[in-house]
Amino acid sequence: MLITLLQALVGGLTIGAIYALVALGFSLTYATTRTLNFAQGDFVSVGAFVGLAAAGLVAGALNIDPASYPWIYTLAALAATIAMGLVGWPLYLAAIRPFAGKPGMSWVMSTIGFGIVMQSTALLIWGPGTRMLAAPLGDGVLRLAGVGFRSQEVVVLVLAFLILGAFDYSMRHTGMGRCMRAVALNRDAAALMGIDVTAAMTISFVASSALAGLSGVLIAPIVSASLFMGLLIALKGFSAAIIGGLAHPRGCMLGGLIIGVVESLTGLWSAQWREIVVFVLVIAVLSVAPNGMFGKGAPEKV
Amino acid sequence: MRAFPSLLRDAVPAAGAGLALIALAFLLDNDFYLRILFMGGVYFLCATGMNVLAGYAGQKSLGQAGLFAVGAYAVALLTTRLEIPAAWALAAAPLVAAVAGVVIALPSLRVKGPSLALVTLAFGIVVEKIVTEWTDLFGGAQGIYGIVPLSHAGEPFGMRQWVVLVIVLCVVSHAILAGFLRGRFGRALLSLQTDEIAAECAGISVYRYKTLAFVIAAAFCGLGGALIAQQNQYFNSDFITFHLSIFILLLVLLGGAGRLHGPLAGAVVLTLTETYLARWPFAQHFVYGALLLFALYLMPRGIVGLFDRLPARKRPPGRAPGRQPAMPVRTPEPGTGAPLLALQGIGKAFGGVVTASDVSLEVWPRRIHALIGPNGAGKSTLINIVTGVIRADGGRILLNGRDITHASAHERARLGIARTFQNLRLFGDMTVMENVLVGAHTRIPGRSESQALDHAAAVLAFAGLSGHAGTQARSLPYGVQRRVELARALAGEPALLLLDEPAAGLNPQETAELGRLIRKIGGLGIAVLMVEHDMGLVMGVSDHIVVLDRGVVIADGNPVRIQADPRVIEAYLGTDEDDEPLEAAAC
Repeated sequence: MLITLLQALVGGLTIGAIYALVALGFSLTYATTRTLNFAQGDFVSVGAFVGLAAAGLVAGALNIDPASYPWIYTLAALAATIAMGLVGWPLYLAAIRPFAGKPGMSWVMSTIGFGIVMQSTALLIWGPGTRMLAAPLGDGVLRLAGVGFRSQEVVVLVLAFLILGAFDYSMRHTGMGRCMRAVALNRDAAALMGIDVTAAMTISFVASSALAGLSGVLIAPIVSASLFMGLLIALKGFSAAIIGGLAHPRGCMLGGLIIGVVESLTGLWSAQWREIVVFVLVIAVLSVAPNGMFGKGAPEKV
Repeated sequence: MRAFPSLLRDAVPAAGAGLALIALAFLLDNDFYLRILFMGGVYFLCATGMNVLAGYAGQKSLGQAGLFAVGAYAVALLTTRLEIPAAWALAAAPLVAAVAGVVIALPSLRVKGPSLALVTLAFGIVVEKIVTEWTDLFGGAQGIYGIVPLSHAGEPFGMRQWVVLVIVLCVVSHAILAGFLRGRFGRALLSLQTDEIAAECAGISVYRYKTLAFVIAAAFCGLGGALIAQQNQYFNSDFITFHLSIFILLLVLLGGAGRLHGPLAGAVVLTLTETYLARWPFAQHFVYGALLLFALYLMPRGIVGLFDRLPARKRPPGRAPGRQPAMPVRTPEPGTGAPLLALQGIGKAFGGVVTASDVSLEVWPRRIHALIGPNGAGKSTLINIVTGVIRADGGRILLNGRDITHASAHERARLGIARTFQNLRLFGDMTVMENVLVGAHTRIPGRSESQALDHAAAVLAFAGLSGHAGTQARSLPYGVQRRVELARALAGEPALLLLDEPAAGLNPQETAELGRLIRKIGGLGIAVLMVEHDMGLVMGVSDHIVVLDRGVVIADGNPVRIQADPRVIEAYLGTDEDDEPLEAAAC
């Protein structure tokens, strides 16, 4: 029983780490622009397919089996991260810049539209089928006190936590991080202090999209990749960001892990009801704590 | 003379358009074209309800597909499982959806922006998953067959009959909703979209109105779902997707959010788009995506907004002078010898900062009271406590001897407490007239719209704003905006008027005008309590002054006594030796 629970915990933390990466992306763009990329899910799935294509190309050119060469996976991950990061720039220009800082939520529509265009393009190239990306470290299982870790779970956990840690550090201790935080706190004041606000916004979208693309490649060896897999991943990442508090990157990360674990534990009971439980829980949390679990809403000055 | 002007105003053209469409339906004998009309009508119904929620109340829900599902499955289950007659099932569906609307409204009331988007979105996903996974009841992707449609003379409805029914429903819904949205109801929703606190202080119950908007949107979406399910005689879980929710919101945003004819424009354009694209399924997604991506950039105020600049929009005409009714004033409650407002031992602390400590004071009708004190003395906090914007930690508040300590802000507004704000909280997109009409919200029931306009015109005349009635509030100079806010507060016929730094940012001439206006207000029998730093104004107009320092009342009395009070001088100057007069010190 305990082993089963721990096993579910490992699975939950792994998928939760993916949600945390996506949630961090939401948090980044929200901080600088007060907008969110509702096409994040398409960036996740298209990212996975870019990774697949890159791996396929290289493996095909060298005529080798990608499963036995971990560096091919690394290459795939880099390709997805860079490609999706680059797409983040036109996303910002087309879908965000016209609406950032204006009332209303037109950016919900425009980013969803961007996602649909991107997904349709990808469907033309790769079709609607599912594919499997080979895990870089093979299909072996590492056993620790009876709890099995699939190799890809280890990869995801290690890499995700490294990235989350690096972001956390750089937001707090580098000049660029300070600039981003300044823009988040007060865009006008930051601009007056000589910070290039437009650059900060663009960078946040590039980084957020890159994170989504990387998440796609990370998750692809665990679930079979399809161009439709991103929607739910992004919605759960979004949930993680909101219940953790959009303005708190660390809260977002924790939110992702919590949602992953809840989902995984519910899966022990009934796989079909996972989503229902997760989203009912999200509604319940927000009814009790409208600003998320860690957010302290500043009272409005009257 | 005009009992229901606004209702007729929309019913006549709507009925005309409806008749024309019905005639068209009888000319067409092609089921394909009839189906387009039917779908357009269903989209319009969904959109017209959604416009109340997303356009007027500003609650951008991303979970309407869930409510669409509730209506559709209500009809499906009622007719197949309980074998309830089709017409009854169709009538019940919007009601069931309305109940679901309450369920989604409750967690949505406290959250805004992205969190609201998530709550509604999560609701949509939960419904989608339930109808997909709970196959015993909902049939999942297999769906439910044999949904009983409406029938006429024993024959199930044909496509043409469905079209006629939908058009009649559209016309009736539009006429009724438009009648409400043009008046008090629509103004209340628009005002809470702009500023919930200001709306609440004008006597609008933000919770009640938001819930109502959710319920209306839910009922119409449910009706749309029910019509589709009955017409198809089949429904499955594939209909219910996140994209349907987006589509329903797009109908409103593309047409023109918060505009009466936005849903019509949205439904027409999206129905036609869908029809044409259906021939090229290959391009359908691209075009749909591009539409989402660029439409709102090109038309930020929707399709209806494109026509705004063509003819100069007609504003409500200024009333002819001479037939203006006198400034309306609340009939005073019978004098009991008690003060109008009494604060007893009010205390409030934010964290460790005490902003009110055992504050007691009284406010009397016809008198101008001023609340002064150094920055951070807790003056604005006290105004907020009296109006119900924030809650006191302890103490009692009595209005006319009645305990209102636990009354909400909008209840207090109804009981006769009105206010202005330190930082202007006007409804910037509305006209001056509309702002004042919102202020009169609690006074309008039982009056016709034209009486309400007369009332508002009288208030504008009193405040010297008649010339600005049709101007957008945002576009006025700052000093005039302040006066508009004052007029909005007066429109509620208050017994007590609270002014939070009314002279802030005014030039000396405007301040002098303000002083005269305040005295005039006192002359109407209204009690005024103002927080103000301009000592010239305070000493000039006040009958009674209360001095607050660090949450404690340190002095009260008439202006002469206050100016001589050593504790007051010390509070402002911080020393005993300095004898500078107060006026000079407080600039």
